[in-house]
Amino acid sequence: MTSRLCVIVLCAFLADAGGDRGVEVGAVARDGRVYVSSAAADGLMSDLEDAIQAGLATTITYEADLRAEVSIWFDRTIASATVSASVQYDTLTRRYQLNRSVDGRLADSRVSEDKADVKRFALGFDRLPLFSTDELEPNAEYYVRVRVRTRPRVTFFFWPWGRDAASGVARFTFIP
Amino acid sequence: MATRPGSPAPPRSPAPGPAVPRPRRPFRDNPLQVLLGIFALVAALAGVMALLNRSSQLAPDFLSEFVLYALSVVDLTMLVGLVFVLARSVIKMLVERKRALPFARFRAKLVIVLLAMTLIPAVLVLLVGSQLIFNSVDRWFNAPMDEMLDSAQRIASDYYHDRQRQVSDETARLARTLAAADLAAPDLPALRDAVAGPVTDQRLTLVEVYRLAPGADGLPQPVTVVDVASAAAGAVKTRDTSERLAARVASGQPDAWMREPLASGGELIRAAAVVRRADGSATGVVVGSVQLTGEMAARARRMTKAYESYTQLRVFKPALTGVYLSFFLMVTLMILVSATWMGLYLAKRITRPVQLLAAAAREIGAGHFEHRLERETVDEFGSLVDAFNAMADELAASRLALERSSVDLQRKHAEVEDRRRFTEAVLDRVATGVITIDAGGRIGTLNPAAAKLLGLDAAAVGRPAEEVFGAGELRPLAELAAVPYVAGKDWPAQEIMLNRDGREVQLALAATPLHGDGRQLEGRVLVVDDITPLIRAQKVAAWREVARRLAHEIKNPLTPIQLCAQRLQRQFSGSPAPVRALVDECTGTIVGEVEALKTLVDEFSQFARMPSPRRVPTDVHQLLIGTLGLYEGLFAHVRIATLFAVSLPPVRLDPDQIRRVVINLVDNAIEALNQQGQIVVETQHDAVAGAVRIVIADDGPGIAPEERDKLFMPYYSTKKRGSGLGLAIVRRIVAEHGGSVDVGPHEPRGTRFTIELPCGEGETPAGTEAT
Repeated sequence: MTSRLCVIVLCAFLADAGGDRGVEVGAVARDGRVYVSSAAADGLMSDLEDAIQAGLATTITYEADLRAEVSIWFDRTIASATVSASVQYDTLTRRYQLNRSVDGRLADSRVSEDKADVKRFALGFDRLPLFSTDELEPNAEYYVRVRVRTRPRVTFFFWPWGRDAASGVARFTFIP
Repeated sequence: MATRPGSPAPPRSPAPGPAVPRPRRPFRDNPLQVLLGIFALVAALAGVMALLNRSSQLAPDFLSEFVLYALSVVDLTMLVGLVFVLARSVIKMLVERKRALPFARFRAKLVIVLLAMTLIPAVLVLLVGSQLIFNSVDRWFNAPMDEMLDSAQRIASDYYHDRQRQVSDETARLARTLAAADLAAPDLPALRDAVAGPVTDQRLTLVEVYRLAPGADGLPQPVTVVDVASAAAGAVKTRDTSERLAARVASGQPDAWMREPLASGGELIRAAAVVRRADGSATGVVVGSVQLTGEMAARARRMTKAYESYTQLRVFKPALTGVYLSFFLMVTLMILVSATWMGLYLAKRITRPVQLLAAAAREIGAGHFEHRLERETVDEFGSLVDAFNAMADELAASRLALERSSVDLQRKHAEVEDRRRFTEAVLDRVATGVITIDAGGRIGTLNPAAAKLLGLDAAAVGRPAEEVFGAGELRPLAELAAVPYVAGKDWPAQEIMLNRDGREVQLALAATPLHGDGRQLEGRVLVVDDITPLIRAQKVAAWREVARRLAHEIKNPLTPIQLCAQRLQRQFSGSPAPVRALVDECTGTIVGEVEALKTLVDEFSQFARMPSPRRVPTDVHQLLIGTLGLYEGLFAHVRIATLFAVSLPPVRLDPDQIRRVVINLVDNAIEALNQQGQIVVETQHDAVAGAVRIVIADDGPGIAPEERDKLFMPYYSTKKRGSGLGLAIVRRIVAEHGGSVDVGPHEPRGTRFTIELPCGEGETPAGTEAT
C-alpha cells in the first residue's frame, strides 16, 4: 500500500513536470495591430476530452503577452490579452456549445456537433488582433508569449499547484 | 507555578515598595488561552467534519479548484508547524541534556514516549485510512455502473435524436410541399390545409410558415404567414424562438433545430427548413415543432444529469481522492499537532514544577531567602509549593534571627573590643604595672609600666610566672603568683626594693583573683606600683616637720646664748690678759657656733617654709646668662661654657627660685671640681614632651651610682660642712614648678644634673648653638 502511495505521488510529480507542452504561436504586425495565432498540441485536448464528454464546462485560456527583451533584467511586458475558449457538451443532444471571448468580450459563439470542429475551436485561434502597435518601436525585436491554462484542472492530490498546461513564443521585428 | 524572585513570603505582610510588573505568562500557563486553543481546535475539527459531510453536495470542480487548494495549504502549514515544534523540542532537549539541566533526561524520555504513543498510531491510521480511501474511490467506479448509466444516457439521447430527426424530416417535407406556393400572396386556407396534415396526424405539434421579406440590413427577415397547431399546443406557442430559428436558418446557418424548455415542464423540439422555388431561391421558412411532455423531458434530463455527474466524478477522481486524503491527512496532522503539543505541555507541566523547585532550592541555597514560588495549581504540586514556601519562610526567619544575633554579637564584640582597647590604652599609659596570670600560672598580659618597673620585656608574656619571677629580687612576685586562693580572703600586699641602674626603687605589690562566671578562679592580677616618689615625699615631709621643729626649738635659745656670750666677753674685758684671752676665745667660739647654728636654723627654716613659686613667663636664656655672670672672674681655673638652644619658648617660672637652683648646682659643681675644670650649661627644648631642659654638667670626679638618689635627701651631704639641704631644696623648687631634676654621669667623666621644666605648647626649636 505504501509503495502504491509512493508511486502515485511520483507519477503526480512526473505528470506535473511534463505538463509544459509547446504551443505554436504566430505573430504578425500589420495595419497598426499585432495579429496573433495560436495552436496548442492535440495532447491538451485529449487531457480535456473526458472532462468535455462528462458535460463539464471546459475553458482553455490563452494568456498572450507582448514583450520586449531586456538584457540582464526581466523582459518588459508591453501589453497583455486573454483569449478564452469554452466548450460545453450537452450529452443529451450531443451538441457542443462553443464560445470564444477576447479580454472578456464575447467574440464568437456557435453550436457544433462536430468533434473536429470543436478541437479546432478549442485548441487555438487564428490571427486575432490582440495588440496595438502604437507602443512598439520600429525595427525592434519583440515576441509574443502565449501561456495556456485549462479549467477544470485535472490535477493530483497533495500538490495541486501546477505550472502552465502549455506555452509558446513567437518573435517578430516590428516594421511599420 | 512560577518563581517570584524577591516577592515576600505569602504568610507575611509584604513590605510596601514599587510594583514590579509580573512577567507575561506563557501560553501553556494560561488556562483561558489553553481553553480557547482547545475550543479553536474543536471548532476546526467540527468545520472539517461539516465540510467533509457536505463534500458530496459540492461540485467536483469546486472541490478540486478550491477545497483541495485550501486543504493542501492547511496540511502544509500544519506539517511545517509540526516539524518546527518537533525540531524545536528535540533541539531544546539536546541542549538541556548537554547543559545537564535537572530532569532533562526524564523530560526527554517523557516527551519521546508521549510522541511515540501518538505518532505511531496516527501514522498507522493514516496509512490504513489512505488505503481505505483509495479502495472506496475505486469502488465508486465499476463496470456495471458505467454500463448502466451509459445505456440510460444513450437511451435518452437516442430518443431526443429520433424526435429531432422526425421533426426535421417532417419540416423538410413541408418545405418541399410549399416550394410552389406563393408565400407573398398566399391562399391562406389552401396553405393551412397543406401544412395541417402532420399536425392532424400528430407527427408535429406546431407548424409555422414564414415568408422572407428583405430587412433593413439587407438580410431576409421572416414574416409569419400561417401557423397550425394542435389542440395541446396552444399553451406552448412561443413565436420569438420560432422566429429566431427561422431567421437563423434563412441566414444560412447550419443549425436547423433547437430545444426550447417550456414553463410547463416539457420541451419543444423545433426544426426549420427553407422553402425554395425550383430555381433554388428561398421564399420562406417552415418551422415545425414537437412537444415533449414534462415527465418525459425531466426523466431524460435526470438520466443525463446522472450520467454527467458520474462521468464528472470519474474525471475528478484523482482530485477527489486528493481531497479526501487531504481531509484525512489534515485530521491526522491536527491530532498529531495537538498530541505533540499536549505531550510537550504535559511534560512541561510535570517537569517544570520540579525544575522550578530545584531552581528555587538553589536560590535558597545561594542565600536568596526571599525567593518564593507561586502556587498555580491545587494539586500535589501546589501542596509541594506551599511546603517549600513554608520552609523558605522558616529559613528566612531563622536567617533573620541569626543575622540579628550576629549584628548583636558584632556590636557586643565591638564594645568589648573598645573596652579592651580602652583598657589596654589605660594600662599602657598608667604608671602602675599590671600583670595578669592565668589559672595555669602563665603570664597573660604585661603592661609597659610593669615591664619597665620589673625590667621585663614582651617575651615574658606566655611564659610561666614561676620561670619569669623565680629568681633574684623578683622572687616575691612569684610567691605572690603562687599563693593559694582562699575564698573570701584577700592576699596581703607587699613591698619590695629593687635596684634599677644603681637606683633603689620601692615597689608595692598587690594581687587580685580573677573569677569566672561560676566564681571559679581563672587567674590573678598582680599590680605593681612604684612608691619610691611617695616614700621620698613622705621622707621630705617628715624632714620638713623636723626642720620646722628644730628651727623653732633651736633658734629661740640661740639669741640669749649669743647675748650671754657677748656679755661675758664685755665683763671680762678688764680681766687679766690670760683670763681675757680665755674668755674671748670661749665667747668667740660660742658666738661663732651660735652664728653657725643660726645659719643652719635659717636654712632649716627656709627648707621647712619654702614659699610657693610666683611664676611669670621668663626667658630662660636671659635668666641663665644673668646668673652665670655672677661667677665671672671669681674662679680663675673654672671655665663655664654654655650650649644654648637657638630659641626657647618663654617658661612660666619663679626667676628667683630657679636662679637659686642654678646657683646651688653651679656651686656644687665648682666645689666638685675643686675650683679647677669646666662646667657646661646647656638648654634643650623638647616640643613633644612640652618641656625645657637645663643641663649643668661638670668634668669632675663624678658621683657613685649608689649615692645619686641619696643626693636629694635632706641632710645628706658628701661635703664636710654641708647642711645636706641644697639639693633637697633644688628638688623641692623644681617639683614646685611641676618639673623634675635628675642626676647622672657625664661623659667622659663628671656629673650631669638635668632640670626639666614644663613649658607652653607650640614653640619649636630651630637648633642649637654653642658659646
